[in-house]
Amino acid sequence: MQIIDRQKVNEQINGLKDKYGNDRSALLPILQDLQDIYGYLPNVVMQEVAHSLGIHPVEVEGVASFYSFFQTKEKQGKYVIRLCRTISCDLAGKANVARQLENELGIKFGETTKDGMFTLKYTNCLGMCDRGPAVLVNDRLFAKVDAEKASQIIADCRRDFLKSDFPKVVPSDVKKSGPILKHGLESGDALKAALKMSRSEIIAIIRESGLKGRGGAGFPTAIKWQLAGAAKGDNKYVICNADEGEPGTFKDRMLLYEHIDTVLDGMTIGAYTIGAKKGFIYLRAEYLYMKKYLEETLEKRRANNLLGDNILGKKGFSFDLQIRMGAGAYICGEETALIESLEGFRGEPRNRPPFPVDTGFQGNPTIINNVETFIDAALIVVKGAEWFNEHGTEKSKGMKIFSISGDCANPGIYELPFGITVAQLLKEVGGENAKAVQIGGASGHCIAQKDFHRTIAYEDIGSGGSIIVFGPDTDMLQVAKNFLEFFVEESCGQCTPCRDGNPKLLEGLEMLEEGRCSVTYLNELKKLGETIQIASKCGLGQSSPNAFLSIVDNFKSEILGRVPEAD
Amino acid sequence: MAKILIVDDDVDFVSAVKIVLTSNGFDVIVANSSQEGMAKFDELQPDLVLLDVMMDQPDDGFVMAQNLKKKSKTTPILMLTSIGQVAGMDFDKDSEMVPVDDFEQKPIMPNILLEKINKLLGK
Ligand SMILES: Cc1cc2nc3c(=O)[nH]c(=O)nc-3n(C[C@H](O)[C@H](O)[C@H](O)COP(=O)(O)O)c2cc1C
Repeated sequence: MQIIDRQKVNEQINGLKDKYGNDRSALLPILQDLQDIYGYLPNVVMQEVAHSLGIHPVEVEGVASFYSFFQTKEKQGKYVIRLCRTISCDLAGKANVARQLENELGIKFGETTKDGMFTLKYTNCLGMCDRGPAVLVNDRLFAKVDAEKASQIIADCRRDFLKSDFPKVVPSDVKKSGPILKHGLESGDALKAALKMSRSEIIAIIRESGLKGRGGAGFPTAIKWQLAGAAKGDNKYVICNADEGEPGTFKDRMLLYEHIDTVLDGMTIGAYTIGAKKGFIYLRAEYLYMKKYLEETLEKRRANNLLGDNILGKKGFSFDLQIRMGAGAYICGEETALIESLEGFRGEPRNRPPFPVDTGFQGNPTIINNVETFIDAALIVVKGAEWFNEHGTEKSKGMKIFSISGDCANPGIYELPFGITVAQLLKEVGGENAKAVQIGGASGHCIAQKDFHRTIAYEDIGSGGSIIVFGPDTDMLQVAKNFLEFFVEESCGQCTPCRDGNPKLLEGLEMLEEGRCSVTYLNELKKLGETIQIASKCGLGQSSPNAFLSIVDNFKSEILGRVPEAD
Repeated sequence: MAKILIVDDDVDFVSAVKIVLTSNGFDVIVANSSQEGMAKFDELQPDLVLLDVMMDQPDDGFVMAQNLKKKSKTTPILMLTSIGQVAGMDFDKDSEMVPVDDFEQKPIMPNILLEKINKLLGK
């Protein structure tokens, strides 16, 4: 048993408060650092944190137990091995890797080895869908893992990675670039152009471009910025949503690595436009390995007067930002849950209205945009509205960055215009013989061959860019099950339709699998799915039955009539 | 007689305000969207604009105010909105983002509306 010295814990907490602040919004970063020190969050540590921040210990435990990257109660292994269980990694042969990891370590998933070296866990999408199966060991990422490689990884861990053939970070595969990815701008170029314009001119050009948010919901960026700009407040915020939790999405990971200066230009332009002085990048816990690089970039920008006071000589324009880590909760990509998380609470979505543009971080006017949206905004300011909107459709302007994975010859990142048909896209990626395509990730829709003529655009099939291709041999029932397992786990539990409805749908799929589900009951489940869509509080619940419903509709004959297993 | 342009997509509100204003001797022009409002502004050159915020888009009134001030710095704009109640939004006059001369929450009492209008018209 580890003996923990309260006084020492307190000293550590005080040090962390100096770094992260004295208020509740410091709770997550403080817990994250303490977990690094102790390997988990012992009760004593949580109690002392509560005491120090002036909140009840139950609140701290409530927060810690909400997020999957916090470990309470018992110590984790020195190496926490997380295997991605998203459908793309499944299609790439995850099951073998899982078995081999269990064989090597002699434990099951969810367990820790007796010597305290290894904990084995499943995790949701690691953002390596084009290179699956993916494994995360603490903050080291491994791609294209097979059974043999799995055993090598374990061997490397045992040697504390003193000698390892694996690169620490796997680069992304950009298969097709267009005007956005080939922008050719240097750090600060877009910001310089913006500071020569008035705030309303910036909004006008973004409005003219027709830019809609790239995070999935497609809300017009100009309206968001205009409303936040008009809102009253001396402490406005700009937040970059780098939570990228939607299964099958990995483009933000690449954009953050390769175009971070354009992202930061976009955020700083946003700050100038709405009148914000502070900002955050909310980076998902799974991308911890990126934090150092991002922080170095921020330092460089401070040194070059692209962040800080009187930016680029503009009197009175000050802006700086921090990187805050998520803690393994898909729901924290939803903008109001993200704000709750930044404020040090469980990631439970708020009612809207009021919207973040008026009542965002700590009640202040806040804009939250996706990584790609900030890049597009920055580029539009320099290159003009027409440069952007010459591509795309009437209602969905511009090029979009897609994350494409699954059964196709060339998975990877593609820049393609909105309005492209599913068939054209499949041809592009070498997935012509697909039987179905999941568009928009777990929360999106499963499109069958009969609908491959449809277009990817907000007015037809909307998407934040996740495309998963299913080949002819895919068992669609397993696909539906995979997505529903995801939602059952990721539901925040706040509202009943989502919390209690999704397990029922999942149970129904298990009954189908075992040949125990009647068509009458399946129809009841469809009605339940529709109820979840309309009665849930936030976008997670509202979209959680989409995959289930579209698969049941499109592949009914395939999922019915399974042979019951013999006892 | 002063000409007032009402730009608002709420027909009930418009008809109530129209009665109040005409019975007090104003000439009233009505537009139900910001596009229509801009066209009527150009055509009929009103002396004052009564402007709503949320119409087709939630920020139409703000955008229209910016565009109006580009055309005429002197025509006063009185913004009338229930955006506070609908969207919880709290905003302020701001020469760039909300370039209006005054604003009031809906619903508004007729005597207060008249008082504001007369003040903006310099009466
Ligand atoms: C369950 C859920 C998860 C989401 N995850 C993300 C995410 O990972 N990244 C993102 O940019 N937006 C995500 N969103 C959308 C955000 O709520 C929000 O609309 C977006 O950040 C706004 O930025 P945009 O207008 O630039 O797209 C999610 C929404 C829901 C309902």
